[in-house]
Amino acid sequence: MLSLDPPHPVLQKNRVQFLDFHQGAPLAEYSFVVCDTELTGLNKRKDEIISIGAVRIVNLQIQLDQTFHRFIRPVNINPNKATLIHRITPEELKKADPAEEVLPQFIEFCDNSLIVGHFVGLDMYFLNKTARQVLGGTLSNPGVDTMRLARRYKDSGQTDHYGHHDHASAYNLDALAKEFGLPAFKPHDALEDALQTAYLFLYLIKKFKDGGINSLKELYRAGRILH
Amino acid sequence: MAADVHSLAPEVVVEFFAKIMPFKELDHETLHGMARHVKVDFFPKGTRLFHAGETTISHLLFIQQGGVKSFITDDEGEVTLKDYRGEGDYIGALGIIRGTKASLDVETVEDTFCFLLPQAIFLDLINTQPGFSQYYLKSFSEKFVGTAYAELRRHKMTRRGDENLYLFSMQVGDLVKKPLRKASADSTIQQAAQQMATHRVASLLIHQPGRPDEIIGIITDRDLSSKVLAPGLAYTEQVRCIMSSPVASVLSQSTCFDALLKMMSCSIHHLAVERRGKIIGVITSHDITLIQGVSPYSLFKEVGKQQKIPDLYPLSKKIPEMIRNLIKEGAKSGNISRMISILNDHILERLLTLLEEEIGPPPVPYCWLLMGSEGRREQTFKTDQDNAIIYADPKNEQQAKEAEEYFSRFTRKAIDHLVECGYPLCPGEIMAVNPKWCQPLSVWKGYFKDWVSSPDPQEILHATIFFDFRSGFGKASFADELRQYLSDLTERHELYLLHLANQCLAGKAPLSFFRNFIVEKNGEHKNKLDIKHQGLTPFVNFARLLALRHGIKETNTLARLHVLAKENIIDESLWVKAVDAYEMQMQLRIIHQLNQLEIDAEPDNHVAPDELSELEKRMLRDAFEVIDRLHSVLKTMFPTP
Repeated sequence: MLSLDPPHPVLQKNRVQFLDFHQGAPLAEYSFVVCDTELTGLNKRKDEIISIGAVRIVNLQIQLDQTFHRFIRPVNINPNKATLIHRITPEELKKADPAEEVLPQFIEFCDNSLIVGHFVGLDMYFLNKTARQVLGGTLSNPGVDTMRLARRYKDSGQTDHYGHHDHASAYNLDALAKEFGLPAFKPHDALEDALQTAYLFLYLIKKFKDGGINSLKELYRAGRILH
Repeated sequence: MAADVHSLAPEVVVEFFAKIMPFKELDHETLHGMARHVKVDFFPKGTRLFHAGETTISHLLFIQQGGVKSFITDDEGEVTLKDYRGEGDYIGALGIIRGTKASLDVETVEDTFCFLLPQAIFLDLINTQPGFSQYYLKSFSEKFVGTAYAELRRHKMTRRGDENLYLFSMQVGDLVKKPLRKASADSTIQQAAQQMATHRVASLLIHQPGRPDEIIGIITDRDLSSKVLAPGLAYTEQVRCIMSSPVASVLSQSTCFDALLKMMSCSIHHLAVERRGKIIGVITSHDITLIQGVSPYSLFKEVGKQQKIPDLYPLSKKIPEMIRNLIKEGAKSGNISRMISILNDHILERLLTLLEEEIGPPPVPYCWLLMGSEGRREQTFKTDQDNAIIYADPKNEQQAKEAEEYFSRFTRKAIDHLVECGYPLCPGEIMAVNPKWCQPLSVWKGYFKDWVSSPDPQEILHATIFFDFRSGFGKASFADELRQYLSDLTERHELYLLHLANQCLAGKAPLSFFRNFIVEKNGEHKNKLDIKHQGLTPFVNFARLLALRHGIKETNTLARLHVLAKENIIDESLWVKAVDAYEMQMQLRIIHQLNQLEIDAEPDNHVAPDELSELEKRMLRDAFEVIDRLHSVLKTMFPTP
């Protein structure tokens, strides 16, 4: 896969944006893109992204006028798998644009925001895998994982809900949304999942605030992913 | 194409606005257009959203999930709860439309998600959409203007036409129109009268000579006729001879309702209005009657005027309708039960006065005691008679016999008249007509002594009714003496208090069951909640127990809690929470009973949680959390060996 060509211009710009990225400012000064990808499966070698949903957070408020939702035509359409969970029909996927068209739009949408996701490492893996294949490079946006944040939050004992605290409880998005009493979204739709994640993210960072997460550095310590 | 996709409003916003007024009236395109501009914010429980007079409102806030309370904090830091708002409600419209800062303090009482509609977009809708400005301006009179528990009323009460909200919306400061007129205490009566005539005022404040800011009294035109003309006092006397002192005052931010309550409970017609420690004017009962139309005050006056007992019957039956109006105007439960108590007391006073005139004066002085909820001034609509009589210890056999005969006749008539007035008999026969509860002071002391020193669980339960006694009519000093006696007793009998504490704890609500009940929307439990016994009684018991332990003479639960907090016996935050929880439940109970009265059902205390709104359920759940805290306080204070 090694390519000697320079990466796609959108990636070059993306890299420049993060050349001198500072972590010292208060959280409210950063913008975040909360995203979710739907995949044909979880096999890191074979599977592909078939949709991306994302919403931007500026000033620690979800900007509902800045959302991103696209289907992506996979190289191998395997209808059974794709329709099973996501309710995306093979026809929809056949009509969708290929990754080389959608991904640059997504990277532009991300702009200089940090990428937030639930178990974001998986999304980042597939995004970067696809980016390498079709754009010749990877994304430079740092990522924040809401699953790690949630774990930290629960471990810190800050939860003040009335329900019983089952520490073995699941950390999947729906379970956390239910446990924290967040407004519910339809699962397994990339945009709705991204919104659900955005609500979770907002909930966590604001509940955390007095518990010590006020700057990006502190957030990073709590929810960093490696990439 | 790409741009369109990016700016499509998510379904969740459109669905939300499509359900609420006045947005549901918008056409599809406009709705989607406005929804695109919406942001989401999250405010943890306890976040202060608005500071009255400080916060500039940049967005109209819509509660997607959660709840807020609005309140006013006066100069002295006293907090008055104004309103609760929950899902689908908005905050901040008035400020945006008027271009002013926030007029109320607003704080989240739950973790709250809000949709934020930018000011400019909202103003654009107000200017372009038919019905929008009307909707928001109309709802100001219903929601903004000082109405408490707007949500409770909206769910529970159907409004009949346009009712005046003045009693609760208007602050007494607004009634002060005329400049303050005052005279020095050493001026003559004639000078004062001249000043009143010149300025055409019916009252004059009197200040300390040489210190015009130090108001020490008030004279009214009635003083001139009754204290000067009638007795023939010289006009050259100093005005200080005829002034009433000190002057009762209210804070300018108090509602007219509070002022009215104060006038009624003190039987005065004039109140000085105070702003930041300075008297700015005087308001009269007439001022309030003018803004009110048919007022509680006119009912109060009517009662006082009656010369025949049967003429009191129809008046007392007007109370529920009057209370109904008060609730619609936004009265808080604390105010309502105070008002009910004042009116009931007034009827009782008139009734017993007339009865004494009818059958002749008693052979010995007596005090008519009120007990139970009446004693605590916590009545709602269903007010069983709980009363008793203490009379002076007779000097000899002869007098003892006379007293027994007199009070037996007196109480029988009194109780019958009270039934006619609409106060049902006490099923437990705790009434003055029961010879056991119509006794000389020394016998009463003996009763209390027995109860406190031999705590049999059955007796304890029984006795709790008696511990909340207060004087309703007659010689109040008997009640005071008995109260003092009881305080001395209970402060010494820690063991007795321990028994009471155990009783409180035994009455613990089935909380886990209740939680599920409240959370599960479609549970199979169709049981209703006994809001009196499960919800309110724990607060009443707690306050009574600690009041007994610390010699607090108040009988009202909120007043007891207040004293407990002031004396640092319970901490401030617990006090605030307990007051909120107690008032909220009282409010639910009153509205529940009012609804029953409307369909001619017998008022009871069984509320169906299924019929409560989400916010009410959550508030109710919070209230039960507070009961837990009260119980843990009790456990710490009275550790079981």
